[in-house]
Amino acid sequence: MKYIITRIIQVIPILFAITFLSFAMMRLAGSDVVEQKMLNTGQVISENQLIAAKQELGLDRPFLVQYFSWLGKLLHGDMGTSYVSGMNVFDTFISKLPATILLTISSIVFTVIISIPLGISSAVYQNKFTDYVIRFFSFIGNSLPNFFVSLVLMYFLAIKLRWLPIICREVNLNNIIMPTITLGIAMSAKYIRQVRATVLDELSKDYVIGAKARGVKFSTILWNSVIRQSLVTIITLLALSIGSLLGGTAIVESIFMWDGVGKMAVDAISMRDYPIIQAYVMWMAIIYVMVNLVTDLSYRFLDPRIRLGDAQS
Amino acid sequence: MKKLVALMLAATMTIATFVGCGASNKEEKHASTGSKVFVFGDTTFNAENEEATIDPHDTYCGWPAVRYGVGETLFKFNDSMELEPWLAESYENVDDLTWKVTLKDGVTFSNGNVVDAEAVKACIEDLVAVHERAAGDLAIDSIEADGLTLTIKTTTPKPTLINYLCDPYGAIIDVTAGNEGGIVVGTGPFVATDLVTGDHINLVKNDNYWDGDVKLDEVKVITISDGDTLAMALQNGDIDAAYGMAYASYPIFENDDYTFTSTSTSRVFYLQMNYNSDIIADDAVRAAIAMGIDKESFVDTLLNGYGYVGAGAYPDSFPFGKGVNVQTYDPEGAKKVLEDAGWKDSDGDGIREKDGKKLSINWVSYPSRQELPLLAESAQASLNDIGIDVQLNITPDHGTIVSEKDGWDVYGAAFVTCGIGDPMYFFSTHCLADSTKNRGSYSSTDLDALAAEMNETFDTDARSDIAIKMQQQILDDNAFVFCSFLKMSMISKANVTGLVAHPCDYYEITADLDIE
Repeated sequence: MKYIITRIIQVIPILFAITFLSFAMMRLAGSDVVEQKMLNTGQVISENQLIAAKQELGLDRPFLVQYFSWLGKLLHGDMGTSYVSGMNVFDTFISKLPATILLTISSIVFTVIISIPLGISSAVYQNKFTDYVIRFFSFIGNSLPNFFVSLVLMYFLAIKLRWLPIICREVNLNNIIMPTITLGIAMSAKYIRQVRATVLDELSKDYVIGAKARGVKFSTILWNSVIRQSLVTIITLLALSIGSLLGGTAIVESIFMWDGVGKMAVDAISMRDYPIIQAYVMWMAIIYVMVNLVTDLSYRFLDPRIRLGDAQS
Repeated sequence: MKKLVALMLAATMTIATFVGCGASNKEEKHASTGSKVFVFGDTTFNAENEEATIDPHDTYCGWPAVRYGVGETLFKFNDSMELEPWLAESYENVDDLTWKVTLKDGVTFSNGNVVDAEAVKACIEDLVAVHERAAGDLAIDSIEADGLTLTIKTTTPKPTLINYLCDPYGAIIDVTAGNEGGIVVGTGPFVATDLVTGDHINLVKNDNYWDGDVKLDEVKVITISDGDTLAMALQNGDIDAAYGMAYASYPIFENDDYTFTSTSTSRVFYLQMNYNSDIIADDAVRAAIAMGIDKESFVDTLLNGYGYVGAGAYPDSFPFGKGVNVQTYDPEGAKKVLEDAGWKDSDGDGIREKDGKKLSINWVSYPSRQELPLLAESAQASLNDIGIDVQLNITPDHGTIVSEKDGWDVYGAAFVTCGIGDPMYFFSTHCLADSTKNRGSYSSTDLDALAAEMNETFDTDARSDIAIKMQQQILDDNAFVFCSFLKMSMISKANVTGLVAHPCDYYEITADLDIE
């Protein structure tokens, strides 16, 4: 518990630093909220109105005063309004999150279901027919870009078979299938090879040879020792994937019109919608910090050596 | 480990169960309520096209307001781009500065409020207070309202005032109802209920519609920026019709299951030169660019023939679209012009230099009009052949870039040059000192004199003659290059009726639109 609290306290300065950098970058971008909004919406306002608007928003105050004022609002969930749509940024952002979180969960589950059994099989049957077939398909999966897989799935599942819709804007499980498979194919292809390599590495270790020599059943060695050891590596990789998936997958979200934060971020970047970009930067920072924290904690659960190492030191 | 396997199996079964239970969107769309729902895929309803909402008093948001049947103007254009009454009954040009407009009796906003002269006055006054382009176009001095009669006085003679009132910014909205979330209350056959910029707008039938029965119950307009998604959505049946389909996808729909509605428009794909750039300020460079664009190949090959080669600012279907002399594609001539001006390839890299400066131009354009990236790539290749290096910047944020004087040389854009049925529209928006779209700071005293003459000329034939001279002036200066005109097409499923492409590109979703 003490370790968890220490880690959470360590996270706070990191998040503050990110808010500062994010705010500073916004200011370095050249134009302020009033000018950018005027440019984006084509509104016509006079110089006096411009100055008055800047005063009203406190843009004439020193940088640090502006930063702490902005931070205070941020901590109360006020991220400002979008330059493009004029909508509340926090509300906009929150409205996109369920879609992204759902797609992250579904594609991770899909990936785990596909890659772990196949990766283990590939390692266990190393250089046999099963291994070759799995490696061949994982190689193909690795080579296919997401947009191509999307279009192929759309063609067969939506146009030829008419099982699924092309436009997946509404968040429901019927619409999530194709985006999930698209992301899952690419990730599974990568993970199969990683799982295979990790399991092979474990299988070559002395304790496995020793267990075999003592007559322990291979399945017992595999399930009780090898896979448990391999999980540390696999979970690290999965954590990184979860981080990037929670940041949204711009191409897949755009093609399927899946209304998540990735598509929102790309749209915001293309239109220089700085408040949305800032919210996105904050979100990404929080994700990676939190995912790393959870991953570190899971190591301690999965690998007693880490726990014991800490205790001894 | 067993727990992990069990967890995975449970997750798989859960997903499978949900999938099994999920009804397809198409079935839901029509069967749930028995109501008629029309789903329209559009590539242009977004902030990139200055259409972030449907508030006509904001940039070009009047276009979706009129296109999607929420707003209506006092007058409208028929298929020949001639004026005809819409919310107004008639107009009278009392003198050079005074116009009297009589409104139709019995017109109401969708919220039930009456459209009388007071409501129209309030709307137009709000428009000119917040919309720079409209304020310049209309030059309104005062408006008087009396029952159904509106008397408009202008500060200068405005022969085309009634035409300008047909611009989508002239859609009459109930300003007392506000514009919460960019949604306004208009008089059209549909009422907006939900709008998310760059994503969708949902519309329902206006039960108070003043001009007859509205056949559809609901309309959903979805912004689809990806061309492949748009094509497959129509194939799959997720949408009933599409605007902005990629030309390469047309053959898929050329069969009995789909209907094309096409018309020639005055939407031109043009180049605007930035006179603030040292390179572009060189007459020879502008001439070489004009001579180095292969318009015929662009239209025939890249647009699959769905367009018309441009000469002047207007298609030749208009009286003022004929009789201009224009540079034709002449790469050898372009090379000679550049050689004579001192632009030579001295280091043998294929790109010309002069005074140690490479002949390299920054070409800015945007992707939401599919023709523009194709034009840019085509020009990049043909201009490279004559020794001009073209750096492309195709971005949705084009507006920010070209709002600066520096950082760009050539801007490739699309514009409806005759959107009000009168030739002055293009010049007043693009070519004069106070034009909102004179991004390249073009200036010509001869053109200014012709514009002044045009502004005081009420005779249509005389205006056409002046327009031809004005076009010739900007073509002789090579300030603009008009590459091609759009043959606008919408593609719908065969059971859709009443979706008709219009030359001005304003009217799409109407009370007559239906699904059989």
